[in-house]
Amino acid sequence: MGDIGLLGFGPDGWGLVLFRAGLMTLAVSVAAFLCGLMLGTLVAWGRVAGNGPVRALAEGYTVVLRGVPDILVIYLFYFGGRQVVAAIGTALGFPGPFDISGFVAGMLAIGLISGAGQSEVLRGAYQAVPKGTIEAGRVVGMGRLTLFRRVIAPQAMTTALPGMGNQWQSVIKESALVSVTGLVETMRQVSVAAGTTQEHFLFYAAGAVIYLIITTLSDQLFRLAEKRSLRGHHGAGF
Amino acid sequence: MTALTPGQTPALSVTGLRKNFGANDVLRGIDLAAHDGDVISIIGASGSGKSTLLRCIPMLEIPGSGTVSVGADSLSPKGGRLTRAEEARARRMRGHLGFVFQNFNLWPHRTVLQNVIEAPLFVQGRSRAEATDEAMALLEKVGLTDKRDAWPAHLSGGQQQRVAIARALAQHPRAILFDEPTSALDPELVGEVLKVIRALADEGRTMLIVTHEMGFAREVSSRVVFLHHGQIEEDGTPAEVFGAPKSDRARAFLSSHFDRNR
Repeated sequence: MGDIGLLGFGPDGWGLVLFRAGLMTLAVSVAAFLCGLMLGTLVAWGRVAGNGPVRALAEGYTVVLRGVPDILVIYLFYFGGRQVVAAIGTALGFPGPFDISGFVAGMLAIGLISGAGQSEVLRGAYQAVPKGTIEAGRVVGMGRLTLFRRVIAPQAMTTALPGMGNQWQSVIKESALVSVTGLVETMRQVSVAAGTTQEHFLFYAAGAVIYLIITTLSDQLFRLAEKRSLRGHHGAGF
Repeated sequence: MTALTPGQTPALSVTGLRKNFGANDVLRGIDLAAHDGDVISIIGASGSGKSTLLRCIPMLEIPGSGTVSVGADSLSPKGGRLTRAEEARARRMRGHLGFVFQNFNLWPHRTVLQNVIEAPLFVQGRSRAEATDEAMALLEKVGLTDKRDAWPAHLSGGQQQRVAIARALAQHPRAILFDEPTSALDPELVGEVLKVIRALADEGRTMLIVTHEMGFAREVSSRVVFLHHGQIEEDGTPAEVFGAPKSDRARAFLSSHFDRNR
């Protein structure tokens, strides 16, 4: 078993780089989750309210993303994306070389994957809003926007929060796949450190701890948000 | 009995109202007008179309044909849907109505007070102070001032329905529509809700009440309408409809109802 001092923050320790790598994992996860949230909202809306073609497109997207390995999506965005950018760049007459960053490719790929899951959660939450409360909003003269903002969204959010928490956890774990692009996030950094020092067990264990810290803390945050949003919902009759 | 007093516009009216769900003709040509101060009870067997009729007035159901008027606004939707312009007019008409549902339909994520001030604040754009003052007066009227900060889920059905009535009153409605307001209540809670509705009748409010409470309808209504298979079969004062129904079906319905309630 290795020297625990290797994890320290001193000049010989890997502590600082691991800390930075943890922050990068957090950054790419947040970016990807928000990407997925935008996409998921759009797709959920398309599936609930869209006309025929829109609905088909939205459903097609979820079907494709469910059936394709995540790592393939990342390769597609990183290597395939680079090819597309190069082709467009050359066509527009820019001098090469062309590149796209691992961060952007990872964010888009994980966002795309997560968007499919998030759209499911959001659609389910929308459908769980009691129809009567929507009618009550319409009958006092609310327009579509007010109805969504004041009646549908607050109730759907309460239902969606646990599911969205799960989606967030998945995004954090999937973010490890972005290491294949060379982006120095936790996974990449611990494998570099393990390779350099030959302390595999120590550094992969340290990597696990970093992921656990992030997932546990965010889990607490989601629980807090759930508790807040559940005010009033438990009691007689519900 | 839809004869209009010359020069007087009814608070609300429907003419030639038809509605079908698939092959099922639920409303087959209804004409009905309520003048200011009228309290009209709509009775009939399940499936006679009374709830659908009530729900067509604020366009919660879009009629297949016919005209609905509320005050100066009227709508004659075609083909079971509203155009954008019609939708805007429907919203204006809803603004002049109060609607009380069988299942209360309070917003569970808002407190009692918030439920009552929601539409005044976010639809009518009134000030919070004014809306709150008025809401407190309305909660007093329905006997729930002490519940202003309670969540709907913590109230009994009767209390929830009284909040729903306060919410409807906050609309400053020209007419209030009640869709079986006591049908979802435990028997011991029916009385408190009927008491509130009776008080509104005594104030001279214009109301349409779909109900199975025959005794209440007889006592509180200025007029009773009996619906059968989507048509008005009987229309008159409570004394006329309950005392001497002209149609056989009304007679059969009433006798079965009074027998059952005895």
